[in-house]
Amino acid sequence: MLTNFPDRLAQENPCHTLSLPALTTLGLNLGKGDPSPCLITILLSISSAPALGSITFRHDMWFNIDRPFQGPWVDIDRWLTRVAQRVRVQGGLPVMLECWPKGMPVWEGFLPGFRRAGGQVKTDVRSW
Amino acid sequence: MNSLPQELIDAIIDRLPLPSLLFSSLVAKRWRQRSQQRALEKIRFRSEAQVNRWCTGFPQDPEGIISYVRVIRFQDIFSWDDPAIFGRALKSLCSLIELCVSWTDIPVELPGQISRGEIGKGITILRLHRTSCTLATTMSIVLSFPNLEVLYILDSGAGSEGPRRSRPVASQRAPLDSLKLWGNSGGIGKTLAESGFMFRRLSLDVGLSGVEQLIMLSSETVVELALHGV
Repeated sequence: MLTNFPDRLAQENPCHTLSLPALTTLGLNLGKGDPSPCLITILLSISSAPALGSITFRHDMWFNIDRPFQGPWVDIDRWLTRVAQRVRVQGGLPVMLECWPKGMPVWEGFLPGFRRAGGQVKTDVRSW
Repeated sequence: MNSLPQELIDAIIDRLPLPSLLFSSLVAKRWRQRSQQRALEKIRFRSEAQVNRWCTGFPQDPEGIISYVRVIRFQDIFSWDDPAIFGRALKSLCSLIELCVSWTDIPVELPGQISRGEIGKGITILRLHRTSCTLATTMSIVLSFPNLEVLYILDSGAGSEGPRRSRPVASQRAPLDSLKLWGNSGGIGKTLAESGFMFRRLSLDVGLSGVEQLIMLSSETVVELALHGV
C-alpha cells in the first residue's frame, strides 16, 4: 500500500512567498534544543534568498549525532533544499554547524535532501 | 617623553587601562586631551545621586571636556525623585552617539524632550535593557530619535500597558542599520512593524509577536538575519 505523505511545506505555508533578495548571511540559534515551531514557521515562509552565502546553526550544546534524522530537522532539510536550489552565489550554499565536537565528521544522514541538492555541511572553526 | 610623535602618544594612551588614564593625563600637556577623551568616552550612572553630581559638579560647557562623552549608560536606577534630571544629564552632551538604559525607569517626558530637539540629536545607537517602561513610552522613545541607526531592545516595553501609539514612519526614514529584539519585549516587534521600520540587519527572538511582519517589511533591505529559536 502506498502512503502519500503530505508536503508540509505546501500544507502549512501555502503562500511561502517571502523573498529576501539582499540576504547574504543567516544565523539560526537553537539554544539547547531542536528548531522550535516558531522558527520553522518563519523559515518556511521564506521562499528564496538568492544572494545567501552561508547559513549557520548555533547550538549551546553538542548536536546529538546518534539519533535518526527526524522531527523539525526534516522540515529544515526540505526548506534548505528549496533555498539551495535557488541560490545564485558561486560555490553553492554551505551550512555551517557551530558547537560541533571537534574532529567528528558530520553524519551522512544529516540534511540528506540538502546534500542531494548539492549543499555542503561543514563544521565551523569555533567547534569544540 | 615630550619628543614622541603625537600618533605614538595616542597609541600608547589607547592601550592603557581605564584606571591609568587619570595619571596619564598628568604626564604632559600632549598626553592630556587623548587621556581625557578616552576616560570620558563612556560614562555610566548607577544612581540618581551620581547623575546629580554630574549635572551640578561637572562643568557643563558643551565645548569643554564633556564633549568627549560618546556613550552614556543609566543602570539600576529603578525610580527617580527628580525625573527631569535624566534629560538634564543628556542636555549638554553634544557629541553623544549612544544611549544605554538598563534596569532603569525612563521618565515619560523624555521622548518629548528628544522630539523637540532639546537632547540627543546625535544619538544613533539606542540600547534598552530591562526597562520597566510601557510599550507606549518605549515606542515614543524609539520614534523620537531622528537619526537612529541601531536599536537593541532586550526585555523592555512590557510594562503595564498605556495607550498604544504607533504611526507609519516608513516614508520618512531610510532603513535603519540594525535591530536586536530579544526576550520579553511585549508587543514591541509588532508595533515597530506597524510603524514601518525597515532594517539591514535583524537579530530576532522568534517567539516574539511581530517577528514575521518585521522580516516581511525589511525583505528588500535585510542583509543579515539571525533568528533565535529557543
